[in-house]
Amino acid sequence: MALHRLSFRLRATVCHVRTLHTSGWGQQQEAVAVESEPEPFSVFRTQETDPACQSEKHLGQFYTLPSAHFRPLFPHGLPYRYQQQVKTFNEACFMVRPPALEVISYLKKADYSKPALRYLFYGVKGSGKTMSLCHAVHFCYTQGWVVLHIPDAHLWVKNCKELLPSSYNSARFDQPLQATTWLRNFRTTNEHLLSQGISRVKSSSDVVGALMKDLRLQSSQPGADFRLVVAVDGVNALWGRSTIKKENKSAVDLEELTLIHNLKKLMKNDWTGGAIITTLSQTGSLYTPKSAYLPQELLGETGFDSMDPFIPVSVPNYSEKEFESAYLYYLDRKWLQHPQSRTEDGKKELSFLSSKNPSMLDRICGFL
Amino acid sequence: MAASLSGLLKPWTPRVFLVRWSRYNPYYLEPEVRKEAYSQPESELSAEEKEQRELKMIRPIKAAASGVTSSVFSDPVLSKFINMMMEHGNKVLAREIMTQTLENIKKKQVEKYHKAPEGQKEEIECNPYTIFHQALKNCQPVVGLESIRKGGKIYQVPIPLSDKRRSFLAMKWLITECRDNKHRRTHMYEKLSQEVMSAFVHEGNVIRKKNELHKMAESNRAYAHYRWW
Repeated sequence: MALHRLSFRLRATVCHVRTLHTSGWGQQQEAVAVESEPEPFSVFRTQETDPACQSEKHLGQFYTLPSAHFRPLFPHGLPYRYQQQVKTFNEACFMVRPPALEVISYLKKADYSKPALRYLFYGVKGSGKTMSLCHAVHFCYTQGWVVLHIPDAHLWVKNCKELLPSSYNSARFDQPLQATTWLRNFRTTNEHLLSQGISRVKSSSDVVGALMKDLRLQSSQPGADFRLVVAVDGVNALWGRSTIKKENKSAVDLEELTLIHNLKKLMKNDWTGGAIITTLSQTGSLYTPKSAYLPQELLGETGFDSMDPFIPVSVPNYSEKEFESAYLYYLDRKWLQHPQSRTEDGKKELSFLSSKNPSMLDRICGFL
Repeated sequence: MAASLSGLLKPWTPRVFLVRWSRYNPYYLEPEVRKEAYSQPESELSAEEKEQRELKMIRPIKAAASGVTSSVFSDPVLSKFINMMMEHGNKVLAREIMTQTLENIKKKQVEKYHKAPEGQKEEIECNPYTIFHQALKNCQPVVGLESIRKGGKIYQVPIPLSDKRRSFLAMKWLITECRDNKHRRTHMYEKLSQEVMSAFVHEGNVIRKKNELHKMAESNRAYAHYRWW
């Protein structure tokens, strides 16, 4: 019910933004009015909200996520600053960028009777890897696939408050808290496709394992009518080190954690009928240098060998056009308030200070 | 003595140059940080400015302070406030708090803006800089009190304050209020943004303190002639 109110409010703001634009952006309107269907919004927005229909001509433009999709799709998985931005602007907008578009085009053309393909987004810190992953996940959701989205694999290998010995296999350890939160979010995302109950906390890690195995087997069957997408953020955590300690202060090996063990089984491409989309992340990773961003450096030898063969997709900083688009979007949403930021000099300074890195631009525009 | 003094007024640098609290020879000129000053063509300058330029080519220039930038976004009032907030020389932290405060104010206002109906959108002020400057102006006292001793007794005499003193008092009160009288587990940027937002609408403890000072000065009006400057 809150969702209806939000969509009404959004509709209201959408209509009002339209009128604001027709009055204020007169010059652009004249240029646009020559086309058969004049866009009520400006150059940096597009009306195409379906990722399946987005193509190269929408590159650099923002599309609004329908509010009905936002709550179920992303209970977890979006960067924290972006979630705050969604709350402030009252809308969730993604930018259509080449890496995400590339992966979506591969997903459209792939043969799903063959083993699952692995895609890996890599890039410097703050270049938009998680957002590209979320864009691809949105595409899969609109196509009706089952989404298995792990927001950050690093959270499962560090700061564990409760570690129980596994009931299933005595050598392994369970993490009930992380498992329950993830199961709850999984249920929110896939409520319309599955109907399962998640009640007991103690065996939640085993439930997670069973769920993953079940989904994998089901999607591999030739007659299956659904496809599975496994989206993992920070996949280099699976082959790194962990800071969790046992009671006798000895470090826990990653193989001894049930959740990680099951996730690694999913990462192997021995199942069909789906795709595996992953991201590297240095920010949350343990015992890796800050300057590392390439797959070889972050995955390590074992990781690279397990992930091999995969499709690496580089996520660069904003291009000129994308920077322009982001700048106009912030102007439109009344986020850039400093009078100097609206001048040419201010724009040049923003471009220089952020070196067109998306997250740096966001942080700088935050206080301007 | 006169000979030694005039002998010093030539370009010289001491052998040991102290970095902290260094006092430059008055021979050194102030640096020009603003970009606009350098983009003016020759023809637009008046005779004095041309003379200044000639002088700058000959005389040595002081090093620019690290808090001064030629960025278009630099604001002297904001820099002063950040310096006042700084503790133990940790300018990075002070600037971080300031930027978080401004972002927080802007976030709240923009959220209100986007949720407001069409008619009320123009009334909502979204610019954190205008809000901050206006809040500081609202907090500035008009008159101050000075303890003057006359005939063995000390009287609190109302005196006029210079602009610098007034803005200093406003900033000082804001910072001490946020440090002392708020819940200890809130972040400084949160406390500051709340206090600035309430000062913008003439509410809050700082405005109250200013008004109490004004009342005291008003009640002590009779002693105003004790001031002799």
